[in-house]
Amino acid sequence: MLQIEGIRKEFAGGAVPVVALEAVDLGIERGEFITLVGPSGCGKSSLLTLISGLAPPSGGRIRLDGREILGTDRQVGFITQQDNLFPWRTLIDNVALALELAGIGTAERQREATRWIKRVGLEGFERAYPHQLSGGMRQRANIIRTLIYAPAVILMDEPFGPLDAQTRQSLQALLLSIWETQRSTVLFVTHDLTEAIALADRVVLMSARPGRIVRVDRVDIPRPRDIFHLHDLPEFRRLYDALWNELAVQLDGFDRSTH
Amino acid sequence: MASTEAPTDGAIGRGSSAPAAAASRRRARPAWLSPDNAVSLQVSRLVFAAVVLGTWQYGADRWFDSFYFSTPLRIFAQVGQELIAPGFYHDLWVTTFEMLLGFAIGAGGGIVLGVLLARSAYVAKMLDPFLLALYSIPRVALAPMLIVWFGIGYSSKVFLAATLVFFVVFFNTLAGIRSVDKALCDIARVMQATEWQIFKKVMLPSASSWILTSIKVSLPFALVGVIFGEYLVSSEGLGFRLNNYSTNYNINGAMAIIFLMMVLMLALTTITNAIEARLLRWRPKSAAERFTQS
Repeated sequence: MLQIEGIRKEFAGGAVPVVALEAVDLGIERGEFITLVGPSGCGKSSLLTLISGLAPPSGGRIRLDGREILGTDRQVGFITQQDNLFPWRTLIDNVALALELAGIGTAERQREATRWIKRVGLEGFERAYPHQLSGGMRQRANIIRTLIYAPAVILMDEPFGPLDAQTRQSLQALLLSIWETQRSTVLFVTHDLTEAIALADRVVLMSARPGRIVRVDRVDIPRPRDIFHLHDLPEFRRLYDALWNELAVQLDGFDRSTH
Repeated sequence: MASTEAPTDGAIGRGSSAPAAAASRRRARPAWLSPDNAVSLQVSRLVFAAVVLGTWQYGADRWFDSFYFSTPLRIFAQVGQELIAPGFYHDLWVTTFEMLLGFAIGAGGGIVLGVLLARSAYVAKMLDPFLLALYSIPRVALAPMLIVWFGIGYSSKVFLAATLVFFVVFFNTLAGIRSVDKALCDIARVMQATEWQIFKKVMLPSASSWILTSIKVSLPFALVGVIFGEYLVSSEGLGFRLNNYSTNYNINGAMAIIFLMMVLMLALTTITNAIEARLLRWRPKSAAERFTQS
């Protein structure tokens, strides 16, 4: 469904051009949940930006249902690490933004936004402004304002990164429960291996810069999963150790031999 | 990275109470000295005003010549005279009208040009030295020319006010639109917003606090421009009235007019503050605002 073919991304402008991504190939099935892990600065976020269509790749191409992505697309949603809620909009108007931009009437979009707000337990805060909400609440709003317009592909760039451990776990569980019913295709960037395994159908591990795909592992833990007790499963432990060993290699910079 | 987004669960209802509580823990201060104590503030203000005015009144003809400095009582008596004087309300209306028209032209032009230049980084950069040069002209020095060009009627005053207001609003609008968070524009862009939607729903609201601040700051400039213009040459308006009194050494009359101008400006500032508070109700109050507003 989503084909990433020979993607290369180079950032000029500095004294030396930086190659963020090199020869990245990945095919993603419809309804698949993919997590991307790798050392910081390995171009995970750059890859999401390219798929979102906000920036063009320096080489290669990305196709969605066979059609090349050349700009932003209503079928591709992007949930950023910072919640980036509009500070001048109330919660409900933030959540309804995409529908408003699409020209959907006030009554309908408010009804839809209210439904999503209830679903993530934010009812009662519809008229609150972002600065009146906690980090976890803002991040929930950030997620549902993309889910509300149901893009086929949802890109998530460390959406739980800034949150504390408990909030993070409860949001992971919430995200999975919503995804189980909606089944959009998800590409989820994280630097947290536990999170990567817990959420994914397949975990994609990337190398240090320039980012390449080092290995792809299928997670054979049946769904629906219990986020809070996943860590005891042998399958989880095995995968965690394997990924961690590989990641440690990348962090130590042993990949210099590949240059 | 996570510094500004640190988890703040239970942040609802934070606002002013948390800092106040922190302050009281640091140093036990009597409750009546708290800047949040409205009653004590009002009492202190009344006492302060009474002391200043009382000293002025008492010192008149004891420490200084009241012919030059007048006294509070005489000024208030004169204010009463003005309020029933023939022609006062006409002059008040003329000044207010000139001021608001000049302000509307200056602020409107500033917003429009600021928005246009913010759209084109090239043109903005090209025009930068010229705009700075124009800005560096002491605008009141233009007053004699404006009177030559536009005559002694209201239009010369309107334009003087407009030139004073224009640059403040223009530079702020430009800076406001420039400082829009690119990440917010990207959010809208991913949702397939048109350029017009991005402008209307992201850039303009984001720049609104800059624009409103400049409007608040420049409103008194409009009054300065109008009064100065009237003071130079005119046959009506508060500035004309002021000129009449001062050239006749009627200090009581001049002081009374200055007092009434102050009241006019305070009224307008109160209105703009209310508009700003309404439009920017989404914004958390900054520490500075909490300190100055009662």
